[in-house]
Amino acid sequence: MANILILLFNGISEGALYFLMAASLSVILGLMGVVNFAHGTLFLWGAYVFRWVYVYIFPNNFILAIICATLAGFLIGLIFEKVFISRVYGNIGAQIMITLGLSIVFTELVRVIWGPSALVVGRPPMLAGASHLEFDFGTVIISHYRLFVIIVGVVVAVLGHFLLTRTRVGMTIRAGVQNSEMVGALGININRYFTLVFAVGGALAGFGGALFAPLSTTITPLSGNQFQLMAFIVVVIGGMGSFVGSALGSLFMAVMIALIGWTIPDISLVAPVALMALILIFKPQGLFKWR
Amino acid sequence: MIMNKLANMDRLRWIELVLLAVAFIVLLIIPQISGAATITMVSRIMIFAVFAMAYDILRGFIGVIHLGFALFIGGGAYFVGILFFHQGATIPMLLLAVVGTTIYSAIWALIVGKISGKSGMLATAMITMAFSEIMRNLMTVWRTVTRGEDGIAFRVPAPFNDRTMMFYACFIFMILMAFVLYKFTKSPTGRVWQAVRENEQRAIFLGYNTARARTIALLVASIVGGLAGVMFGLNSRFVNTEALGMQMTYDAMLYSLLGGAGTLFGAILGSTVVILFQNFLLDLRPIHAIFERWLLFFGALYIVVVMFMPHGIMGYYNAWKEKRAQKKRMAKEAASS
Amino acid sequence: MSLLKVNDLVSYIGLFTILQGVSMEIQQGEAVAILGRNGAGKTTFLRTVMGLVKTRSGSITFNDASIIGKATHKISKLGIGYCPEDYGVFDLLTIEENLVLATHKKNAATRDRIAYVLDLFPDLKLAYKRHARTLSGGQRQMLSVGRSLVNSPALILIDEPSKGLAPVVIEKMALALKEIAKQSTIVLVEQNFHMALIVTDRYYIIDEGRTVHGGLMKDLENDKELQQRHLGL
Repeated sequence: MANILILLFNGISEGALYFLMAASLSVILGLMGVVNFAHGTLFLWGAYVFRWVYVYIFPNNFILAIICATLAGFLIGLIFEKVFISRVYGNIGAQIMITLGLSIVFTELVRVIWGPSALVVGRPPMLAGASHLEFDFGTVIISHYRLFVIIVGVVVAVLGHFLLTRTRVGMTIRAGVQNSEMVGALGININRYFTLVFAVGGALAGFGGALFAPLSTTITPLSGNQFQLMAFIVVVIGGMGSFVGSALGSLFMAVMIALIGWTIPDISLVAPVALMALILIFKPQGLFKWR
Repeated sequence: MIMNKLANMDRLRWIELVLLAVAFIVLLIIPQISGAATITMVSRIMIFAVFAMAYDILRGFIGVIHLGFALFIGGGAYFVGILFFHQGATIPMLLLAVVGTTIYSAIWALIVGKISGKSGMLATAMITMAFSEIMRNLMTVWRTVTRGEDGIAFRVPAPFNDRTMMFYACFIFMILMAFVLYKFTKSPTGRVWQAVRENEQRAIFLGYNTARARTIALLVASIVGGLAGVMFGLNSRFVNTEALGMQMTYDAMLYSLLGGAGTLFGAILGSTVVILFQNFLLDLRPIHAIFERWLLFFGALYIVVVMFMPHGIMGYYNAWKEKRAQKKRMAKEAASS
Repeated sequence: MSLLKVNDLVSYIGLFTILQGVSMEIQQGEAVAILGRNGAGKTTFLRTVMGLVKTRSGSITFNDASIIGKATHKISKLGIGYCPEDYGVFDLLTIEENLVLATHKKNAATRDRIAYVLDLFPDLKLAYKRHARTLSGGQRQMLSVGRSLVNSPALILIDEPSKGLAPVVIEKMALALKEIAKQSTIVLVEQNFHMALIVTDRYYIIDEGRTVHGGLMKDLENDKELQQRHLGL
C-alpha cells in the first residue's frame, strides 16, 4: 500500500512537468494550428541552461537559474516563431518539417556546447530532503523537491487559468483558439498573439526543463524526447487547445503511468501510446469535454 | 519506328536519356572499379532510395505524414537480424524474414490507415511518431533477443555475403521497386492518390473511394519500406535500436523532400545527394571538429529546403520543363496563325 | 462620395480563380444587396474585401484609399464590420466577452454602444453572462451583427443573415437591419429575396464570379423574368 502511494506521489510530480509541456503545446496548437515538434528541445534547453547557470554563472542560486532557463525558453521560442514558423502558417506539412528541423539542430547544439554525456544536477539544499510519513501499512517517503514541483504545477495551473479567463489577453487567446480569422476581422492583430503564445509556450517548456533537471538529477541530450511524447499524448487526451484539459489529462496520465508501473513496468510507454491511438480513432476531441 | 521517335525528340530529352544511360552504366561498373567502402556506400544509397520512394508515396502522393516510417526499415532489419542471429544465416530464413516483414508492415499499414482516416494530418503525424517510438522501446527492453541498444551483428547467407553480389542485388532491388511504385502511381488508384492530395473533399464528391485508395497507398508504401529494411539488414549485417529511431524517418523525409515530393524518382536523387554530402562532410573532419556534428548540417538542410525550395530538385526541374514546353507551344501557335 | 468602390476584382483561393471580375460602387448611407445563386462567389467577394482572400487584379477602395493587400485587422479598423456566414461567434466566450472583445477602448462611448446593441437585441441582454454556445441560431446571428456594431463602423458586410433561421426570426432580423441601415452603410449578401427587399434599396447580382446586373430593388421586385434568370426564383 505504501508503495503505491509513493508511486502515485512520484507520478504526479512527473505529471506536473507533463502539464507544463502539454498546456503550452496545446494552446499553441489550438491557437495557431501548429504542432511544435521542437517543444521538447525548448524543454531540453531549459534543463541545460538551468544547470549551466546553477553551476557556473550564479552558483547555487536556484531562483535565478530557473529565471534564466525560462528566459532562454522564451527567447528561443520567440526566434523560432518570428524567423521560421511564421513563414509557413497554414501549411501543416511545412510546419511539421520546420519544427522537426529546428529540433534536430538545437538538440545537436546542446551536444556541441555541453557534450553528449549525461551531466549531474544537484538539488537546492533547502529542498533536498524527504519526509517520512508513518502509517499502519508502511512508511510513505515524500521527497521535498517533488512536493515543490507539484505545488509549482498547481500554482501555474491556477495562474494560467486566471490569466486565460479574467484578462483581456486571455480572452483574445481563447477566442483565437476557436476562430483566429474572426479575431482578425474584429480589428485585432492576431499575429502578435501568435508570437506571444509561442514565446510564452517556450518559456513554460524551458521552465519545465529547469524544474526537471534537479528532479531527475541527471540530464542528457535525450532528456526532452520523453516529455515531448508525453506532452503530445496529454494534448490528445485532454483535447487540443484546452488548458483545463491539459491539467486533467496530465493528472490522468500521471496516475495511469504510476498504476501501470506498479503492475507491469516494462510496458509503461506502450499503454499511454495505445490509449492515444484509441482516443484518436474513437474520440478525437479528447476524453475531457471541457475546454 | 524507334529511329523516328529518336529523330523527333528535342535536345532536352536527348540529354536526359544520355545522362540516365551514363548513370546506369556507372552503377553497373562501380563494383569493378571501387573499394569495399564505396561499394557498401552506394548499396546503402540505393536501399535508402527505395525507402525514400516508399515514403514519397505517402507524403508526396496521398498526402499522409507518417512520422513512424522507421517502423518499416527497422522492422525489416530486425526480422533479418533476429532470424539470422538466432536461427542461422540461410536462404529459408531470409524468405521467412521477407514474409514476416510483409505481414508486419501490412498490419501497421492497416492500423495507421484506420487512424488517419478519422483524424487529421497532425494527429496522424503525432501517433505514427509514437508508434515507432514504442517499437523502439520494445526492442530495447527485449534484450534477450535483440541485445537492446548494443544490437546484434550477424552473418548473411551466400550470395549476399559477397559485397559485389550484394551491390547488384541492391541495384536490381532499386530498379524493380522503382518500377513497381511507378506503375502504381500511373494506375487508376494512383490518380485517386493525386486527387486526394489536392482536395480530399472534392475527391469524395467525385465518387472516388478515398478510404480504399489510402489503404492501398499505406500497404504499398509500408511493405516496400519493410523490404527496404530487409535489404538494409542484409547490407549492414548489424541491427540495433537505431534502425527504429526517428533519424531513419527524418532521413526518408529529407531525401524525398530534397528530391521533390510527389515526383517519386526525386527520392533517388535526394538519397544520392544527401548521403554523398554526408560522406563529404565527414571526410572534412580533420579540418575542424564541427564536421563531426553531421546532424547540425542535416537539420539546417531540412530547414533550408522547406523554406526555400519546397518543391525539391525534381520539382523545380519539372516545372522548368513545363514552362519551356509551354513557351514552345505558344511560339508554334503564334507562328501558324 | 462613394464609400466602397470595387473595380474588376479578380481573386483566387489556391489554384482556383473564384472572382472573375466584380465591380460595384456603394455610396455612404445606402443599403445594397448582393444576390445570386449558390457558389456564385458572393461570400468570396465579402471575404476578399476583408482581406481574407487574395486578389490577382482589380481594385478595392474604401474612402478613396486602396485596401488591397492590407492586413485584415487593419481593414477592420478602417471602419468595416464583418458578419460571416457561420456567424463567427466565439462559443466558449460569454455574450459579454464576445461584445467586449470587439471594443478597442474601454470607455463610456463603448459602454454606450454595447448598451445600444443590447437594446436592439433584447435576447442578448437576457443571456449576457451566458456562454455563446447556449444560444440558438437566430440569437447567434444577432450576436454576430450586434458585435459588428460596437465600433460604429461606417460599412457593415453581412453574409446571409437569414440562413437557417425560422421565418419569424427572419422578420425580426430584417427589421433590426433596417434600423441599423439608418446609421451605417450596409452590404447584404442574401439568398432570401424577401429579406433583401425589406432591408435594401439597391442590388447587384453576381453570377459565376462576375457582376452581371445591378439596379434598384423596387425594379427587381417587379421583374419576374430577371429574378428567374439569375436567382433561380
